[in-house]
Amino acid sequence: MPPLHRRSLPVTAVEAVGAYTLLRLRNDGGDAGRPGQFFMLQADPEPAAAYLPRALSAAWANEREIAFLIDTRGEGTRGLAAAARISLLGPLGKGFRIAEGPALLVGGGIGAAVLPWLRSELAHAGRAPRTLLGFRSPAHAVCAALVDPEADVVLEPVLVTEPLARLLPFPGTVYACGPDPMLQAVAAVCAEHNVRCQVAMEAAMACGFGACYGCAVRIDGAWRRLCIEGPVLESGRILV
Amino acid sequence: MSDRLVSELCGVRLENPLVNGSGTLDALVAGTLGLAAYVTKTITLRPREGNAPQRIAETPAGMVNSIGLANPGLDAFCGSVAPALAELAVPLVVSVGGWSHREYAEAVRRVSALPGVAAVELNVSCPNVDTGCISIGSDPAETRALLRRCSAASDLPLLVKLSPSVADVAAIGEAAAEGGAAGLVVINTVRGMAIDRDTLRPLLGGGGGGLSGPAVKPVGLHAVFHCFARTGLPIVGMGGVASTQDVVEYHAAGAVAVGLGTALLRDPGLPARILPELDGELARRGLASVAELVGYAHQAQAKALQEI
Repeated sequence: MPPLHRRSLPVTAVEAVGAYTLLRLRNDGGDAGRPGQFFMLQADPEPAAAYLPRALSAAWANEREIAFLIDTRGEGTRGLAAAARISLLGPLGKGFRIAEGPALLVGGGIGAAVLPWLRSELAHAGRAPRTLLGFRSPAHAVCAALVDPEADVVLEPVLVTEPLARLLPFPGTVYACGPDPMLQAVAAVCAEHNVRCQVAMEAAMACGFGACYGCAVRIDGAWRRLCIEGPVLESGRILV
Repeated sequence: MSDRLVSELCGVRLENPLVNGSGTLDALVAGTLGLAAYVTKTITLRPREGNAPQRIAETPAGMVNSIGLANPGLDAFCGSVAPALAELAVPLVVSVGGWSHREYAEAVRRVSALPGVAAVELNVSCPNVDTGCISIGSDPAETRALLRRCSAASDLPLLVKLSPSVADVAAIGEAAAEGGAAGLVVINTVRGMAIDRDTLRPLLGGGGGGLSGPAVKPVGLHAVFHCFARTGLPIVGMGGVASTQDVVEYHAAGAVAVGLGTALLRDPGLPARILPELDGELARRGLASVAELVGYAHQAQAKALQEI
């Protein structure tokens, strides 16, 4: 049974990272989870404008701090960035599994938000990965430094799948997070080269713990709940 | 918790008056969180994947959903889901849906034979399927006939979940009572929709959807109030319940039990916070039991009318 107890954590810093916002919370020693798992976040006290919590994976988390890189696009995310405290539920879902062998990180846009923590875990495991990131503008690409100061960065109209294709086949595991079309393309090219790949997906969620069935995505050829099956999945499970 | 909170629904003892709304709590994932009964997601004869995404959209003070009755189907439910649910320490209510009277009766018959089932809920009010279901629950004669057929297929209390998106919800409740319903569950979501702000096309995969959350509380209170007045049946009241005060108001409108739905999705810790507050509120008002609060708004209205 997942932890279904909400806790309210103080916001210690809200920092602009180019076009994105880094929201840092002081953890109370509670479970920080694993890279790729997610939390349901709501400003505390609740703003009138955003009724549902927002599902976000941490950029990094430990017993002292939980940090989220946010694309503040609507009233909900702007409310999070303006809050003095955040009420959060989690960690929820299934995160990345650190596989044997070399690692390659692939991120698109705000999908980069989940990669700093994964990269440091991989580095701890002695598998510091090569990192490929794609963004729509230089302002969005500023966050690349949080993931990997030596990341290879491409900007639109170049897509991150182009440098990825040049590196395949790859004798290890690809870990990817980004918009659905990017993940489909990454999954397809990895399948083509028989390369193992894990993808972290995103879907609108009301609850995050399997009750609402709102976060359905195509998994194994059927509509399934991303919060329960994922949000990190073996890429073969999402190929259409 | 004190005895003040004990309630009863169609002969089923409830340790407290709070239950979940069907489809808002997956017991195998979440446990029961302090709720006094567990109501399953609606089960249909055949498995359903549900509607294509997007399935939920935030609205002011609520959300619109278009899940589309995703469920494993009656065979899988009876075979592998129900045995685990029977282990729950609270009464189990199985919600069933269908596209014809025959399908409902078949589902009612089979789930009634399962061990540990205390009551069956007939969902005749899902706004997210095209036919059957809500088209039955929009018509008093259809509802009456459905209940007659299903009553013959079960010895368990049958609860009927009503849609507020009809001309006269209490008339549907009366028809259900005439057909043999033991109780009512009031309300399901209110028909609604969302338009994508950029593409200006329907946002939800099912086109329309069902509105829930605090936005619908007045709709739910009105429906419960009138169903109570016109049917006298025990009612599970729900619609936008998010606080102890909301629970008290639903009891006053006529509910013997109160359902939490959308609020539970946002905060599964809510029942554990409401229950002690509710106990305190009953004590503060000098009430010895939930039963003394049920229908209180009707007495108050009669009194007010006399005073005029």
